[in-house]
Amino acid sequence: MSSAKHLLPAPVVFPGDEPFWQAAAQGRLLLKHCPACDRSHFYPRAHCPLCGHPDTHWREASGRGKVYSYTLMGRAARPTAPAIVELEEGPRLSTVVVDADVHALAIDDPVTLRFLPTEQGLQALAFTTPAADHARRYTQAALSELGQAPSGRAQAMQEAAVIGAGNMGTGIAQAFLSAGLRVLLIDSSATSLAAGLERIEQALHKDLERGRLDASAHAARRALLRTSTSLADVANADVIVEAVFEDMTLKQQLFAAIDAVAAPHALLATNTSTLDVGAIAAATSRPGSVLGLHFFNPAHVMRLIEVVRAPHTSPEAILLAQALAQRLGKVAVVVGICDGFVGNRLMIRREREAARLLLEGAWPQHIDRVLRAFGLPMGTFELQDMAGGIALTYHARKRSGQSDWLIEQLFERGRTGLRAGKGYYRYEAGKRTPIVDPEVSDLIEQASRAAGIERRHIDDAEIRDRLILPMVNEGAKLIEEGIVERASDIDLVWQFGYGWPDWKGGPMYHADRLGIASVVERLNALRDAHGERFEPASLLVRLAQTQHGLTPALP
Amino acid sequence: MSLHAKAYIAGIYEHPVRRADTLSTAQLHAQVALGALQDAGLTLDDVDGYFCGADAPGLGGLTMAEYIGLNRLRHVDTTESGGSAYLLHLSHAAQAIAAGHCNVALVTMADRPLAAASGTRLAGVDRSTMPNLPFQVAVPPMPMYGYAMVARRHMHEFGTTSEQLAWVRVAASHHAQYNPHAVHRQVVSLQEVLASPMVADPLHRLDCCVMTDGGGAVVLVRPEIAKRLSRPRVKLLGAGEAIKHPDAGRIDLTWSAGVHSGAKAFAEAGVTPQDIRYVSLYDSFTITVIVQLEDLGFCAKGEGGRFVADGNLISGVGKLPFNTDGGGLCNNHPGNKGGMTKILEAVRQCRGEAHPAVQVADHSLVLAHGTGGSLAGAHAAGTVILEAE
Repeated sequence: MSSAKHLLPAPVVFPGDEPFWQAAAQGRLLLKHCPACDRSHFYPRAHCPLCGHPDTHWREASGRGKVYSYTLMGRAARPTAPAIVELEEGPRLSTVVVDADVHALAIDDPVTLRFLPTEQGLQALAFTTPAADHARRYTQAALSELGQAPSGRAQAMQEAAVIGAGNMGTGIAQAFLSAGLRVLLIDSSATSLAAGLERIEQALHKDLERGRLDASAHAARRALLRTSTSLADVANADVIVEAVFEDMTLKQQLFAAIDAVAAPHALLATNTSTLDVGAIAAATSRPGSVLGLHFFNPAHVMRLIEVVRAPHTSPEAILLAQALAQRLGKVAVVVGICDGFVGNRLMIRREREAARLLLEGAWPQHIDRVLRAFGLPMGTFELQDMAGGIALTYHARKRSGQSDWLIEQLFERGRTGLRAGKGYYRYEAGKRTPIVDPEVSDLIEQASRAAGIERRHIDDAEIRDRLILPMVNEGAKLIEEGIVERASDIDLVWQFGYGWPDWKGGPMYHADRLGIASVVERLNALRDAHGERFEPASLLVRLAQTQHGLTPALP
Repeated sequence: MSLHAKAYIAGIYEHPVRRADTLSTAQLHAQVALGALQDAGLTLDDVDGYFCGADAPGLGGLTMAEYIGLNRLRHVDTTESGGSAYLLHLSHAAQAIAAGHCNVALVTMADRPLAAASGTRLAGVDRSTMPNLPFQVAVPPMPMYGYAMVARRHMHEFGTTSEQLAWVRVAASHHAQYNPHAVHRQVVSLQEVLASPMVADPLHRLDCCVMTDGGGAVVLVRPEIAKRLSRPRVKLLGAGEAIKHPDAGRIDLTWSAGVHSGAKAFAEAGVTPQDIRYVSLYDSFTITVIVQLEDLGFCAKGEGGRFVADGNLISGVGKLPFNTDGGGLCNNHPGNKGGMTKILEAVRQCRGEAHPAVQVADHSLVLAHGTGGSLAGAHAAGTVILEAE
């Protein structure tokens, strides 16, 4: 969600400059050209500053150039490299290269135009790289591959029931409210229900305060929301989304109960992120109408929905879910059933490898810096601190009977993440900036000793390969297993659910840029050094021999 | 008109404050004015020429003339060129004295950006009507980005390294340990500079100067007056000024206006870079020092990185001691304008009155040089060469 605070200040339009700004609005760059000395200059003047001739003419520039020099801006809303760009036409100008892999920028790299919106609508001159433009075109193509589901039935939906008034449930309820559906929020606990309702009301109030909603829209949206503690009230709902605790018995009981009262045409969805949707559907008499709608937290903000297809889900139900997602303004990627579906399955591979790297000698801040330099909005440990990953891993390990010394130590010391003020990092009250904490460094060193691992220096390239290539490999396996239809679907999941930047395409697109043969070669080397978990997927091995990529070439 | 020996520096004063929460900018100007006059053995009534930049509150020097109590002014000059302005003021004051416009010229500089929380903005400079700014509205205005691009290009063309940049800071820190007023007095190692956070790649935090409040003043007088005063005499041998700008898109980051201001000053002084025993160089960033050394002729273009390595700028260690007060990197950088403090330490060295631990043995010839504005954009360079008499 873009917000006004990221907009650049409005530039002053001096008399005579108007044509420059009109061209900029169309994505074109105008220079001033002197008929007397036949030279162009930037920025515009009525006279020629090179020879003094009193009259100059506008001339459109190619917009292509190369980097003469550059630097990097640390904290910026978008990747930004202040730069001096030399245009093909000759002039060098002070500008910025944005929305591109600025950490990989080099002098003489080609750049191309990219205008940035400003506060009063004018477009400010900036540049980007052709590689970033290519990735954005790929993203657009990938989105259009998703297709448009027929929207009639989804548009006719009037009421959604959301079961479970926790974080996910209230987020999902807000997503429906934003699309103008009536929402019935249900929770068996009146206390939870009251807390959930308050959260939604606070969010709506904030929208009102910040001007995102006017008073009448706010009132209308609030009027769409009702609550209940009785499951019987779902009878009028066109779509029912379950978002309760991840417990198969509980969910099966719920779906059996929903089945008994829901309207015959209703779409029955579970928001589970870990359980078998087929087994949940089997608790009903209508498995054709049951599927997963896996929203991402916060559900009213994150644009991704994984639509999980169970073995008996009907094609009509899938189409309806896709159309509904479109109505909610979401990107719906259809996935099959597997542990973690698409997004989390790749994430789990990365997190496990990151944990392994900690034991071998890397530090959280080092790993996170490498991931940020790679282009991701956040490192894996910052992300875990923000999302409460330590507690999730702790409980998951407890359930599966595995032990993880470091996770246990962190959890037992109350280091559960940002909300607790400490996790892999520590945080000052009210701030979100991760600060390295010697206590964690000590724990990591102890964990290495406990595991009998002698810590060593690990360079950036090894960290990058060991975190990114397993994601690629896991993605290839998802394609082999038929969990996703297209490699680009995996990339969309990572863009819209995990913040992989559009200028970098996604993990599968990235693999194609590296070259599949190179990916296989590196995975083979990692397997030889670190074990079978790096064994390349057979799809990758096959593609490496055929010179084909995972993603289609763009026209 | 040659300025050779036409004027003498008779008095200097550096304000000890580094954060002026309880002093106004006008008070700072007055205190440095009185300090420099006292140092010279002169009074307010002796001053008939006044020079200040846009940091002086009010209208073109008039407000400060009244506030300080300058009642016999015959000449005023408010040239503003950023940090180098005070080097230009020295040159202009010498011209005015030589032309008979005044006898005793006072230059004041003072500002309080820390106390006023005004960041790197230069006081008194209105950017709202600058015609180029709308076309670079996406470019962050902080100076460090421009200088980082100068450093990057220097590395690209000449093979300059981060370690060589770091040597400039290391040298400055060696000097600052003896300055009780310096913001940073601890000696730093190459490794500490290189390990400091990257603020604008390839510049680390320790490649950047400090931000402080404060100021300073200089009194320049006609030779006949200098001879009557009791302080060690510092003769202005030569001065040069030059400007450089992006020239409608003909940007070249590898050289600065110092090429021209330096050549003019050396020619007027009748000496060469090899004769100079101490230099005050503008040190907004470590790269600034390297580019200026090349442009002034202390080494060939592109050799600046190698020139500063291995402690060559450290007093008592290297061949060309610089900024023995700790400079902008370690001591102070009042008002984000380092030109005045460059003059002050050059005068101390020339008088033989620098801290004994950093005083150069042969202080017959010293040079002060400043670059105001941005090395990556429009800037003005000012060079002065001083001789101990």
